[in-house]
Amino acid sequence: MQPVVHFKNVNKSYGALTAVDDLDLAIAPGQFVTLLGPSGCGKSTTLRMLGGFDSPTTGEIYLEGKPISHLPPNKRNVNIVFQDYALFPHLTVGRNIAFGLELKGMGSAAIHRRVGELLALVSLEDHAERMPAQLSGGQRQRVALMRALAPDPNVLLLDEPLSALDAKLRQQMQIELKSIQKKTGKTFIFVTHDQEEALTMSDVIVVMNKGRIEQMGGPDELYARPRSRFVANFIGQSNFLEGTVASVSDGIAAVEWRGNLVRADVNGTSPIPGDHVTVALRPEAVFCLSRKPEDRPSLKARIDQRVFKGAHTSLTVMLDNGSALVAQIDPVALSHIEGDDVWVGWRDSDAVLLAK
Amino acid sequence: MRTYFNDLPKTALGASYWIFAVYLVLPLALMMAMSFKDANFIAFPIGNWTLSWYGKVVQDKQFLEASLYSIGIALATTVSATIIGVWIALLVSAENIWGKAVIFALACLPAVVPGLINAISMRIFIRAVDIPTGTFAIILAHTVHAVPFVVIMVLTRLRSMPANLVDAARDLGADPFIAFLRVTIPYLMPALFGGMIFCVLTSIDDFVRTFFLGGYQPTLPMLIFAKVQGGMSPEINAMATIVLVVTTAVGVYAEHITRRSRS
Ligand SMILES: Nc1ncnc2c1ncn2[C@@H]1O[C@H](COP(=O)(O)OP(=O)(O)O)[C@@H](O)[C@H]1O
Ligand SMILES: [Mg+2]
Repeated sequence: MQPVVHFKNVNKSYGALTAVDDLDLAIAPGQFVTLLGPSGCGKSTTLRMLGGFDSPTTGEIYLEGKPISHLPPNKRNVNIVFQDYALFPHLTVGRNIAFGLELKGMGSAAIHRRVGELLALVSLEDHAERMPAQLSGGQRQRVALMRALAPDPNVLLLDEPLSALDAKLRQQMQIELKSIQKKTGKTFIFVTHDQEEALTMSDVIVVMNKGRIEQMGGPDELYARPRSRFVANFIGQSNFLEGTVASVSDGIAAVEWRGNLVRADVNGTSPIPGDHVTVALRPEAVFCLSRKPEDRPSLKARIDQRVFKGAHTSLTVMLDNGSALVAQIDPVALSHIEGDDVWVGWRDSDAVLLAK
Repeated sequence: MRTYFNDLPKTALGASYWIFAVYLVLPLALMMAMSFKDANFIAFPIGNWTLSWYGKVVQDKQFLEASLYSIGIALATTVSATIIGVWIALLVSAENIWGKAVIFALACLPAVVPGLINAISMRIFIRAVDIPTGTFAIILAHTVHAVPFVVIMVLTRLRSMPANLVDAARDLGADPFIAFLRVTIPYLMPALFGGMIFCVLTSIDDFVRTFFLGGYQPTLPMLIFAKVQGGMSPEINAMATIVLVVTTAVGVYAEHITRRSRS
């Protein structure tokens, strides 16, 4: 299928600073795509280039196969939801939403109908005559969303639209956004620095770092198969084991790690014996048992710290080889406390080799 | 006793404020009172009261003509000063304009140059470029004087405007001109309104520039000045009272409107 949005080798520099570095990104239609990365990694710049508010220094952006870099914002069939909503303060909610429709030359009866439909979509039917200043944060957010959806854009761009809301409202809006995206079938490109937000809503997550794409994939894939230390750390938490490859067979590498031989999935890399590698291991993939299991490999360890976290308990254990591991366990299943000896291990496929 | 001494500074401040207020209002009140005096000279006591001076003033062809002339000049000044002022404010606030500071400084210069100097230099200037004294020259001078105030008011408002508003309008399909018309102008409205009222009032009030640049037709201040030369009479007080009441009403109304649109 033809991508709805395609960045081809796009660079954007501000003087000596490279905000977006050789971006190559194709987005399939109808998906909820999230650009995820720390502040300053170039997410907003990417979005603004697509919206037409910045132009690439080099490279070209295609919208439905057509180059658009030369077009002003008003000639592009994409709309943005701004971080601070940018509602027009002098217009009512209804007139705000109608703004784009009026400019399209739609008749007033049709506009009235469409505004009504859109407001109904977010249960704000009786707020059409209110001024933006009379709305709560969540209501403004919804109005901004409907204003951007009103002209029926091919692609909707959202630049950290939930960051000004409190935690409760943010979770509610995440679900609402996702359901509106499904209902309308439009392509949403959503920008955030919040990994949990990205995991909750996205079909595809594009992890960015220093103007480059670190990794791109579904939330489960990124979580289970991070390719780099950056991704493994930015999405969730990880233990990192640094060692030397001893042997490889059937996609599983045996890694010599501080005197122990541990096994990990090669994760798409092609290591050869002698390579220095890093293995990433999620805390919840680590099991802790009071006795040495017969059927699977394990390592002896001593509990250093036990922290109650509600649904789970976090254990920091010290291995005989002198390194620490963090494990996430079921508090009911293991009652051992600090200083007790336990046996820890993991399934081969739960530990993954990182490419960098 | 103690509280009395603690409150003393406050009491003193309050008292001196009221003395000042009386000093502000008393001359105006005297002037207004004299306009009702039934005699053709100004002195206490007022004795008999009358409205006849007002009757005389509103039938005075000279007064009516001068009023209309002043209002016409004020309106022309307001239109031109507002357009030029907004244009300069936009230039100064634009991102990629070279020499912004210079543009701003030049635009503000007439606000600090003394009126007399301004008037004399304008007189020399119009002579040099062959513009006759009269209506056009007056409007020119009043506009130069009013522009800096419009620039500063509009610029202040423009600086508080979220940059995203124009971006949002552009994003929704507006070209730069439509975005300016439908988003920037409405946002600037309180400042524009305040600036326009200011233009009207300073233009109507201006004497020095008008005196140097005017032709034979008198504006309101010139007419009153000419009448004062012929000796004070309650008729002049009645004229001045009418001008005072009208301009105060305009000022209070403007204040009311701007306050409402801000909240
Ligand atoms: N107009 C600009 N001028 C100069 N530098 C900019 C400009 N816009 C963004 N940058 C820089 O480009 C980098 C990426 O910015 P941005 O895309 O806003 O990051 P993000 O949205 O991921 O936080 C940052 O280092 C930022 O300082
Ligand atoms: Mg940003």
